[in-house]
Order: sequence, then structure tokens, then C-alpha cells
Amino acid sequence: MDIFARAHLSRIAALALASASFLAVTAAEAKEITIWCWDPNFNVAIMKEAGARYTKTHPDVTFNVVDFAKTDVEQKLQTGLASGTADALPDIVLIEDYGAQKYLQSFPGAFAALSGTVDYSGFAPYKVEVMTVDGQVYGMPFDSGVTGLYYRKDYLEQAGFKPEDMQSLTWDRFIEIGQQVEAKTGKKMIGLDPNDAGLVRIIMQSAGQWYFDKEGKANITGNPALKAAVETVGKIMSANIYKPANGWSDWVGTFTSGDVASVVTGVWITGTVKAQPDQAGKWGVAPIPALSIEGATHASNLGGSSWYVLESSAEKAEAIDFLNEIYGKDIDFYQKILQDRGAVGSLLAARSGAAYEAADPFFGGEKVWQNFSDWLAKVPSVNYGIFTNEADLAVTAQLPALTQGTPVDEALKAIDAEVAGHIQ
Amino acid sequence: MALARRGGIGRYYDVNGWLFVAPALGLIALFMVYPIFWSLWMSFQSGRGMMMKFAGFGNIVRLWNDAVFIKALTNTMTYFVVQVPIMILLALILASLLNNPRLVGRAFFRTAIFLPCVTSLVAYSVLFKGMFAFDGIVNSTLQAIGIIASPIPWQTHPFWAKALVIIAITWRWTGYNMIFYLAALQNIDRSIYEVARIDGVPAWARFTHITIPLLKPVILFTTVISTIGTLQLFDEVYNLTEGKGGPSNATLTLSLYIYNLTFRFMPNFGYAATVSYVIVILVAILAFLQFFLARERDK
Repeated sequence: MDIFARAHLSRIAALALASASFLAVTAAEAKEITIWCWDPNFNVAIMKEAGARYTKTHPDVTFNVVDFAKTDVEQKLQTGLASGTADALPDIVLIEDYGAQKYLQSFPGAFAALSGTVDYSGFAPYKVEVMTVDGQVYGMPFDSGVTGLYYRKDYLEQAGFKPEDMQSLTWDRFIEIGQQVEAKTGKKMIGLDPNDAGLVRIIMQSAGQWYFDKEGKANITGNPALKAAVETVGKIMSANIYKPANGWSDWVGTFTSGDVASVVTGVWITGTVKAQPDQAGKWGVAPIPALSIEGATHASNLGGSSWYVLESSAEKAEAIDFLNEIYGKDIDFYQKILQDRGAVGSLLAARSGAAYEAADPFFGGEKVWQNFSDWLAKVPSVNYGIFTNEADLAVTAQLPALTQGTPVDEALKAIDAEVAGHIQ
Repeated sequence: MALARRGGIGRYYDVNGWLFVAPALGLIALFMVYPIFWSLWMSFQSGRGMMMKFAGFGNIVRLWNDAVFIKALTNTMTYFVVQVPIMILLALILASLLNNPRLVGRAFFRTAIFLPCVTSLVAYSVLFKGMFAFDGIVNSTLQAIGIIASPIPWQTHPFWAKALVIIAITWRWTGYNMIFYLAALQNIDRSIYEVARIDGVPAWARFTHITIPLLKPVILFTTVISTIGTLQLFDEVYNLTEGKGGPSNATLTLSLYIYNLTFRFMPNFGYAATVSYVIVILVAILAFLQFFLARERDK
């Protein structure tokens, strides 16, 4: 028995060694870049397109685009970074702008600095600022989340509203229209997830404010834009013109199913809206409603994200070169992703392309891209800070109380206390 | 000479004995003892991500002023106080019903009630989320049979969200506890019941005066297990609320808060470790109390 085991042990070991070296050889020949991102109709599809373009000129590099839910990408990334082992991490990861500073500051050395390689002067400055720490720039700016009011022309027409009536609304007027839409068509005006502060963020930023001031200090109780935003969402809830949703896919279902008459969100939703061919021609896009306070605009931003290369990646050099070749220089690529997916990139040179001029038949021939491009120039710039996730939860915690009649100032005080507890 | 020789054998056995247990001891030390002490050390540090600094009792001070922590603690205690008694009582009643030898289809009912236990925590949470959606099957059924007039906001109203979590964990764990009682009921001597019947003791009194006292050790065991389980409640709430513990933190539990502190928020591993020690201390206190209340008084 003993002799048998000994005699075979060396063979087993040799076999193991041989297969290990075989794997190493194949790894050196074909380089696979693993990428994590989250929206199959948007950034996943776009990254596959980018990968296909790069593989044409670099046949030795292939791409493995992995599709998770957004929170899963973020939490898996955070787990991997905290564990200190690089094995579980991808080569390139997509990070939403709100969270970028959090990762860059909490895990110094985890992401590759691209300052020397990428020419950042060609990108929208606010995107570059989000990924800068101590003078080093860490990512490849990707899409902008400039917001629009997507509305169902057919439902609004039934309720007696023409597309002209949807331009330059105030939020109060929006709620009035919502009540008439429900009275005449039985449809709710908007899908709303009470656990998601996205709408509060959109309204707040449209008036040039954020949870934090320019120095990153909490800006809650003395923030007129936040107060008005929370009030507005509270009014939408008490007017009961919304269809409640629980979670992202549920929320997307409110408009893909045709249950609601409008959507207020970032331009990146266009791909999902257009994924319903039976709704072609029924949608219109208008600027988002504005608040009635000082500094209010019809332009805002929601989300938007950028690509980051992991410092520990074995394919770091290839990953950086790929991002720089496609996202940093390929103007034609930006035209394609705009037309197919509605991705408004942050490479400024791409905005003069033909696709931005084109009319979209899905939206009844409106020049939607030109509009989004104009609104993008008007988005007030704010400092996202590093505690947006915490502030979001503090805000959603207070929303139900608002609909039950709690004064807004009291809710803001509670939000402030909760946020202050997290900033340590 | 003989003595020395015996000593040699003794040492030989000693060394061998230790060698046999050494791998197990080594693994326990590496994967149990070391992490426990390391997390205790971590709970005295604070900072952002990898940038940790010694903070002394700073984290404990932070606990007192942290409204979200207090909310999570209250929620967890609410689940514990409401759900554990309901479940234990339900499991006891079901067990004594299913112990009746004259019941037709006993095996079927036992299996059916135990079956939720073998489903994955994530799978059933996702299923419940779908069933209890605003226009889900539960609301539409309740409306169809006329129990409610308008749909119940199961997942968006603070009260109903808590109720939903309690319904979910009761569904999942009642069968598990029932199995313990069923097993214990087999060990109760039938002649005791016979004597009681002959003496004219009614069924309800037989349950409260014979079954429950004789099941006391098992009831204690299941209560302690359920207490620990409820205090560590995570999967259900995470999956029902997309990890947020919403609406307005109404379903947030301590474990979910620890998870958020580590993986969703600006990562603060030190503070998260402190909150996890709160669970350790709570479990210890509650288990001690339960043992204390159930102790044999006649000794």
C-alpha cells in the first residue's frame, strides 16, 4: 500500500506540474480581460462593442464581460479589495461616480493611475474631477447621466396634454398633470421606489446643491434645494400619483409594462426604454421639471459611471491600452453607442459627430440627442463627496414620515443627525 | 529501569496523542480563535477602508449616538420578542397535532410542514418578494376573496414590511422546530397520558400539564437556537429589501447593518466589528437568562 502510494505520488505530482505549466503557457498567449459592469442593455452591451473593436486590431486580446446587478458589483468589489487578495477581482471594473472617491480613498494603491497615459483635457472636467485623488487621475471617464423627462405621448394626449405642454414644467405643474392623467386614463404618472433616493438627488442637483458642500462637509439642514426636493417627493407620494416599486427591476417594470405615463431619470435609461419595440413612437422626451427656488434649472444628472483598471491585474497594460484606444480616441465608437444605446459619453470631441444631429424615430422623430447634449452643458456641478450612499439611506428613511405629515424641517434634522453619525 | 521505561511509554502516548489532535487544534486556532481575537482588536480601531487607526473606546461611544444602530437593535429585538414566541407555540401545537396516531396522512403533513426548511434562504426570500409585491399573488388573492379592499403595501410600508419579514421567517423555521418536538414527544411514556385520561384530565390540560413540562429541555433548546438565529437575521431582510433594510430602516437588523458598514457604506471594519460584538453579548445574556428561567427549581 505504502509502496503503491509512493510510486504513484511522483507521477501525480508530475502530472499536476505539467498541467499547471500548460495553463501558464496558454495564459501567456491569449490575454483575456475580465470586466465587471451591470446593465445588459447599456454598459454591458457597450463594453462588448468596445471589446469587439479592440479585438479586430489586437487579435491576441479577448474580453470576458461579466454582468451583475449594480449593488453586487460594488459589494463584490469592496469585499475583494478588503480581503487583500487580487484573485477574485476583474481587470476592469465600472464604478458609479457617486462611489468613486470612496474606493479611491479607502483602498489606496488598488487602482491603476492613468494620468501619464490618457489625455484628460479632452473629457468633461467634472468627470475627471470625480476620479482625481492627490493630483493623480485613476479612471477612464465613461457616460454622463444627464437627466430627461421621458413621457408617454399617447397617455398624455388622452388626458388632454400636447408635447408643448410638457416643456419647462415646474414640479407642482407636473403633479397637477399627474392627477389629471390618473383621472382620465387610470394610469399613474410615475414609478417610484420609496427606498431609492434617486429622484431626490435629481431634483436637488438641478438646483445646484448636494448632500455635501464643496469642502465635503454635510449640507443638510441649511440646504434649500434638498428641502425642496424632499418636499416635492413627499408631495408626489401624498398626491398618490405614483406606482410603488420595490427594487430596480420592479421600477423598470413600471414603465416597460406601460403602467406609468412618465419616467424622470438619466439618459442611460434610453436603451431600456427603446428595448420595447411595441412602444415605438409613443415616447417623447422633455427637460425635467424645475423647482421654484433660486438657482433652479431644468437640467440635472443621475448616476453616470467610469471604468477603472485594477493595479493588481495581470493584464494591466493591455487593459489600459484598450481603454485609451477605444474610450479615449475612437469618435466613431461614441456615435455607435449613442445611436444604439443612448450613451452620452464624456469625450467632448465625440459631441460634434453626426449621430448627435440625427432624429430618433422611436421618439417620433425628435432630435433627442441634440437636446440631451444641450442640457448636459447646463448641469450644475456639485461635489458628490464620499458618503452619498449613507446620505441616501438617511433620506429614504424619512420619506414615509413625510407623507404622514411630519414637517420637512424635522425630517431634515433627522437626516442630518444620521449623516453626521456616519461621517467619521 | 522499569520506571524509566514506563515513563518512556507514557511520553510516547502523550506525544502521539497530542500529534493526533494537533491538526484539529491548529485549524481551530487559525480559523476560530485567531479571528475572534483579531476582531476584538479591530473593534478598537476606526477609519476608512484600509486606513485604520487605533480609536480606543471611540466605537463604543459612537454606538450610543448612532440612531441607525439603535433602530437596528430595536428592530432585531422586535423580531425576537414577536416572532420567537409565535413560532415556538405554533411548532408545539403542530407537533402535538401531528403526533396523534389516528391522524390520516400524518407523514404527508409532517413532510409538508418540514419542507420549507430545506429551501434555500435566498430562494424563498426572492419568492416571497414576488408573492408579496404590490400587485403580487397574495394581494390579488386577498382582494379576490374580499378580505381587503385595496392592496396592502407589504414592502413599502414600515409596519407591513416588518410583518412580512416575520411571516417569512415563521414559514421557514416553524417546521424545523416542530421536528425537535416530534422527536421529543416519542420519548414521553404513553402510560402517563393513559393515567391522565383515566383520571379524567381534559385534552387541553394534558397538553399544558404533561406535554409542555416534559418537553421543557427541548423547548429551552429550540428557544436558545431561535434566539441566536433571530439575532443574526440577515438573508431574508437582505433579499426582501435589496440590502437596504427599508422602508425607512423598518426592517434593518444588526447583521444587515454590519454588512452595510462593511460593504455598502464607506467601509469601516472597526466599527462593524464593534456592532458584531454587540450581537455576541446579547446572545450570551439572552441565553443565560433563558437557562436561568428554565432551571430546575426543586434542586
